Amino acid sequence: MTIASRLKKKIPSRAGLRATISLVVFLILWEAGARSKQWLGVSLPWIGMIPAPTAVLRVWAGLLNDRGYWQSWYLSLFRVLAGFIAAMVVGIPLGLLMAVSKNFNSISFPTFEILRPIPPLAWVPVAIIFWPTQELSIAFVTFLGAFFTVVINVVGGARAIDIRYFQSAQAMGSSQWDIFRRIVLPATLPSIVVGSSVGMGITWNVVVAAEMISGGGSQTGGSGGGLGFFIWNSYVGGSYEQIVVGMLSIGIAGYACSELLRSLGGYLTPWLKKR
Amino acid sequence: MEQISTLLRRTMPFQMVTPGLLSAIARFSKWQLFARGDVIYQVGDRPDDIYVISAGKVQHTLPASDGTSQPLEKTMLSGDVFGWAAVLDNQSGRLAETVCTERTEVLRIDGKKLLDLFAGTPDTGDVVMSRFATMITKEFNASSTVAAQVHHYPLSGPGAFTAAPKMPTGLTLTMFRASQWLKSPKPYLMLLGFTIFLGLWYLTVEVWKLPRFRDMPGLTVVVKELFSKDPIYGLSLYTPEYYEHIWVSVRRVAIAFLLATVLGVPLGLFLGWSRSFREYIFPLFETLRPIPILAWVPLAILMFSGSETPVIFLTFLASFFATGLNTMLGVESIDESYSRAAMCLGASKWQVFKEVVIPGAMPFIFTGLQISVGVAWFSLVAGEMVSGQFGLGYVINTSYTMVRYPTIVIGMITLGAVGYTTSAFVRLIGDYMMQWRVRELALGGR
Repeated sequence: MTIASRLKKKIPSRAGLRATISLVVFLILWEAGARSKQWLGVSLPWIGMIPAPTAVLRVWAGLLNDRGYWQSWYLSLFRVLAGFIAAMVVGIPLGLLMAVSKNFNSISFPTFEILRPIPPLAWVPVAIIFWPTQELSIAFVTFLGAFFTVVINVVGGARAIDIRYFQSAQAMGSSQWDIFRRIVLPATLPSIVVGSSVGMGITWNVVVAAEMISGGGSQTGGSGGGLGFFIWNSYVGGSYEQIVVGMLSIGIAGYACSELLRSLGGYLTPWLKKR
Repeated sequence: MEQISTLLRRTMPFQMVTPGLLSAIARFSKWQLFARGDVIYQVGDRPDDIYVISAGKVQHTLPASDGTSQPLEKTMLSGDVFGWAAVLDNQSGRLAETVCTERTEVLRIDGKKLLDLFAGTPDTGDVVMSRFATMITKEFNASSTVAAQVHHYPLSGPGAFTAAPKMPTGLTLTMFRASQWLKSPKPYLMLLGFTIFLGLWYLTVEVWKLPRFRDMPGLTVVVKELFSKDPIYGLSLYTPEYYEHIWVSVRRVAIAFLLATVLGVPLGLFLGWSRSFREYIFPLFETLRPIPILAWVPLAILMFSGSETPVIFLTFLASFFATGLNTMLGVESIDESYSRAAMCLGASKWQVFKEVVIPGAMPFIFTGLQISVGVAWFSLVAGEMVSGQFGLGYVINTSYTMVRYPTIVIGMITLGAVGYTTSAFVRLIGDYMMQWRVRELALGGR
């Protein structure tokens, strides 16, 4: 390894540099816009209403020691996982069944397609009426958010399998179970992975909304209703910096979940690795 | 019917005939069963029908015309056609004797009706008649005078049919498809699915009154409310408010969606096209994207005054990310050799962008737009639930707080229907704008 190449490793790549520049410029513009009233005496439209990044950071640092804040993280994460796992457990077998059986598909798919365009949030009131506890109703709406995406992806993936695979497997005497394990499962795995990562994104969206609409509603404390409620509560309480803290926290949580899922998917489908 | 069409389709003169014509032929055909040794017709019998063998074997004997040479014999098997004298001009009698050599099943087609049918559809009819002529000449070595008796319909000149050739129009094609669909088990299974769903809803809520379902709005209550001229809970097909709510929601989605398309598509195109632009902008895009749209609600309320703009802003934001990201992925998916080839041929950078990048990314753009419409509805509902004065999301939320439960379901159903319609509309536009892709997929047999 020559000195030049070593030096090159020390200097960040052009893309990284540019990313840093763009983020820094963005933060500076944000800071300037948010403090326009303070610095220029004129409040800029729109951006002038947003708390400045430095103020947000200060509030955030204070929150790191707050138990309630971490409790919100835990609650939201728990609800997301509950709904998401339930959607996978119900959605994957259902999707496979729909793909395998033509008659079952004809019976169930139209009903499914009629329910699908209804946004998950529209189910919130129904869920609250139906489920005994708030926790269950939020989890149910979260479940719905991921469920439709997972099923559609599984059906699509299983349908796309080349029929010759089945024929040759049968010709070589594979059992039904073998066909399922060695053909259907690996072939649908990529679409399951895609569907679940999209579903995960939707789940976070839904959980925030559900918490805003119903979640913390009955909770009188400032925390304990999940991150969505944390944001809503900050808004109601007038602590605007906390809104941004909440937004960024959810962003981080959602991003981390998707990233985790993606790496898990990559581990499960090693044959899809890019050349 | 199905069986007849299938049999006809693999039979020589009827191959490649349109499904419509086939089913027309099938309508005046009938099955007939013969035992071994049965004579189907003798020489000189009245030639009225054409036969297609479904199963079995027949012996066909054409007596020598001059009395000195050997009679012409031919064995015909399943899938073959005989009795073509029925389509010869001025033929008063059968030319050959036909005997079954085993148990035979045939399809008997009325020759006169066949000729009438072909006269009505000269474009296909003439093709079939030419095939008859070829068959007769080739298979029986019959004199060309016999073959010449097969009536041809000249396409022009004296004696041409005045009827214009009929191509299947959009309507007849649709009708045919609809009739085929009705014949398949699919619609009935579909109905069964709906029945099961609605039946479960009805039984659990209104008949059995299961504990958890007691408070749920029942099927009959919702339906009665929806179609009532004087609704108990204030919302039905006859109240103007219903349409006002729909209109408000649709308008918000439309504004947000158009704005997102106008801004998101060019942004995505540039992100995919220019590397340095992407390196500057994309990290920012990716930092903001994982934040759920709903988390923006309070900030949107703070930033924009009123109740209309925040909702539109939220809806816009959701669509914008979906559109931008998909467009960028679309540009990236274009094979780089296309751009290189265009450059080799002397295309300018702008021309490459216009002729390669934009059409290449089109399928992804439209996928993005479809996702974007769905996401737009999703965030619209959320926005309206949290901060709205009107609209379907508002209907659902206020119905809940004011304990007008059936209206919740009406709101949900309406949302689903409207949401589905908008995304179908986007798909339609996409198909219209990407005719080449639709054709490609159709040719691929998908």
